[in-house]
Amino acid sequence: MKRKSARAALHLGVVLASIALAACSSPSKTESSGTSGPGNGTITVAGSTAMLPLVKDASAAYQDAHKNVKISVSGGGSATGIAQVAANAIDIGDSDITAPDHSELVDHRVAVVGFAVITNPAAGVKNLSKQQLRDIFAGVITTWKQVGGADQKIVVVNRPRSSGTRAVFVKTIMGTTPLSEGGLVEDATGTVVSVVKQTPGTVSYVALSGVTGGGVTIVSVDGVAPAPDTIESGKYSIWSYEHMFTNGEAKGDVAAFIDYVSGRTDLVKKNKFIAISAMKVKETDR
Amino acid sequence: MALTTAPSARSVAATGSVRARKVADAIATAVLWAMASSIIVMLAAFVLYMVYLGGHALTPSFIFGVPKETTAGGGIGPEIYNSFYILILTLIFTVPIAVAAGVYIQEYARPGTFRNVVQFSAESLATVPSVVMGLFGLLVFVYLFKWKFTALGGALTLTLLNLPALMRVTQEALSSVPDTLREASMALGGTKWQTITRVVLPSAIGRLTTGVVLIAGRIFGETAALIFTAGLSVPYNNPYDLNPMRPAETLAVHLWYTHSESIVPDVDRIGNGSALVLLIMVLIFNVAARVLGRQLTKRFTGRAS
Amino acid sequence: MIALQARRSRRTERIAVLGLRVAAGFVILAMAALLGYLAFEGTKTFYVDKFPLWSFLFSPEFAPDANHPGAAVFVTGTVAVTVFAIAIGGPFGIAVGIFLAEIAPYRMTQILKPAIEVLVGIPSVVYGWLGLTLLVPLIRTHTSSPSGFGLAAAGIVLAIMILPTVITLSEDAFRSLPGSLKEGSLALGATRWQTITRVLLPSASSGLAVALILGIARAVGETLAIQMVIGNATQFPKGLFAPTAALTTEIVTDMPGATAGSLLEHALFSMALLLLLIAMVLIVLVRFALRRRT
Repeated sequence: MKRKSARAALHLGVVLASIALAACSSPSKTESSGTSGPGNGTITVAGSTAMLPLVKDASAAYQDAHKNVKISVSGGGSATGIAQVAANAIDIGDSDITAPDHSELVDHRVAVVGFAVITNPAAGVKNLSKQQLRDIFAGVITTWKQVGGADQKIVVVNRPRSSGTRAVFVKTIMGTTPLSEGGLVEDATGTVVSVVKQTPGTVSYVALSGVTGGGVTIVSVDGVAPAPDTIESGKYSIWSYEHMFTNGEAKGDVAAFIDYVSGRTDLVKKNKFIAISAMKVKETDR
Repeated sequence: MALTTAPSARSVAATGSVRARKVADAIATAVLWAMASSIIVMLAAFVLYMVYLGGHALTPSFIFGVPKETTAGGGIGPEIYNSFYILILTLIFTVPIAVAAGVYIQEYARPGTFRNVVQFSAESLATVPSVVMGLFGLLVFVYLFKWKFTALGGALTLTLLNLPALMRVTQEALSSVPDTLREASMALGGTKWQTITRVVLPSAIGRLTTGVVLIAGRIFGETAALIFTAGLSVPYNNPYDLNPMRPAETLAVHLWYTHSESIVPDVDRIGNGSALVLLIMVLIFNVAARVLGRQLTKRFTGRAS
Repeated sequence: MIALQARRSRRTERIAVLGLRVAAGFVILAMAALLGYLAFEGTKTFYVDKFPLWSFLFSPEFAPDANHPGAAVFVTGTVAVTVFAIAIGGPFGIAVGIFLAEIAPYRMTQILKPAIEVLVGIPSVVYGWLGLTLLVPLIRTHTSSPSGFGLAAAGIVLAIMILPTVITLSEDAFRSLPGSLKEGSLALGATRWQTITRVLLPSASSGLAVALILGIARAVGETLAIQMVIGNATQFPKGLFAPTAALTTEIVTDMPGATAGSLLEHALFSMALLLLLIAMVLIVLVRFALRRRT
């Protein structure tokens, strides 16, 4: 009886050890993407939902030209992109914001994106000052009437904490004033736009690249409307760079793809982004 | 066992007139009938509503086409493939382990600490929420083993999630086989192992198969555990990959992801279509479970069930 | 010749049984690994980041950027949505369980039981999707809620999801009662309904308790379906129609964006550990209730 359980334990140990060995040995062999030869790997990209249309278009074009490269692209938010590339779960992390806490990540700027404040058309407001925006999103101003619009309750729509769009908005508009948490929270650029379209009284911040097909009012900030020329000149202040982060230096297919994305300025413009080369102002902390 | 509340003639009969009691009985019965029927009506309403919403989306280009992240017209072909792929992979791991463990507990284990610990572990595993299991899979397969997002990681996580259910199915199937069969086999000189493999398991195979197919249906629809382990994407080139070490978004995950990101203009069409396909698959699994179970029982035992 | 065969089959038997034992041992190993690893990650909030356990459980402020991840908001959300679900699904489920065990004719059982099986098999994303397309717009148009998301939507969806569990277990509880109870009561002149309420229900109480506890366990652990309709706002449930969040939905919402090793990640794992502990407490309660039966 004692021999039997001892043998069982031994078998168990052998099984476990072999699993552990197999697990530890596989990563170095399947570390494709960055370190393999050109045109032969898998690349996983995730992160900012604002950047998604551009990255998706570029990845489709790239894969058409390089048939044996497999690129998987998904969203999840800027912080997701940063967190997962820092944990080596993906190869490229897309982000609307910088990653100052991650010195191991290498930043590649591929485009510039403008962010707009959008409202449901029934709100009846076309322009807001920065102070008014601050008060609305902090929950101090509660009806549209108070800022010259319809007699309607304001419904603030926020993004989750992992959103780069939210971080940019907080940095450029809110400053130290905290965002009010009472309102809706929507996961991604696309859901924000559809919720604002359908729900009266809503207001939110979203990447310009996500505002397609109308149905929402784009609000001017301090009299300046978001457009390529106002962003390029710096007159419109809510913008940031689009970053593609890699864990360590980008190599092989990963590096090639990143260069490809920033090089396709036609896709950049088509998806309502701005080419970095067109920017007349530069910032270091965006 | 002794009656816990013995009805006394006085307490039961002395509660108001006979007529009042009969009326109460009739009303209560009617209410219960209504409640039970409402469940059937609700299910029918769900199915009809989803067919109405998603029926027109079920075109060949949708079912076999590739997904589009930002434009309209995407399909779910690779996602359906991944759902089946992960399902089969999960069953390859789950069935041997769960059946073996179930056979051991039901047929061999003597009452004692080992048996109790195994049963407690199985019960505990059964109540672990799928999102927590997904986090465990994230910790082990994505971070610790450094696999990144893989179909294999997803399948192994789902194995852990479904082990207890399949163990229970095995145990119930085995216990449904009458002991007389076992005794007869042993009397004819068979060892315990021979008895189990040649007599008991074949007798139980109908119920076992029903259970496996029903669990397969649940695996097909699993989402929370896969988000963190198998990932949210499908490669543009070669979406129908046989390699298990790559991200594999399944249909159920795709439904959640499409709703969550909402970038494509036809979110509703994709969502409704995906939901309908999932519903149809569930119905197919349910019917198949019963039909297969009945057929196998007839073939292997000559009984009807 | 026979002796050789017997020896060979005995050896096969020994190896086979060893294999079975290893498989059973694997189950223990899996549970231990799960508990151990989650405990390891989940307690980092307390001994690495030094955030007090008391604050984690009871502080209403969830601000991981300010080093203050208080999870009380989510615990309240989980409790609120579970209470809502069991308040609707519990009585309804027990009633239908009674119906199946005592009242339904065979033909009705033949329709109802497969219907319940299908309801069990519907994936939670599909329930979430149904809630999103059917329930949320209904709530939005018929109540004061601006969006339709909130406790009510999540609670109703959850109630429907736990119904099959409660129904099946309640039915089992009634079917396992000795027939003499019912017969004795009817023989004394009681109507069927009187028999059910005065005799059978009290006797089946421990089985019904198990049904309710397992329904609660299902509700506590449900993730996707609630996440799609609850609104996911980090605030306490302000009434039935304001967006809020629960432990499971918070994990799904914020985990992908949490950097490995950050306070947010540790806090989320602490929430996962909390969920696991709640689930285990519920099983212990079930075992306790089952023991009280005899």
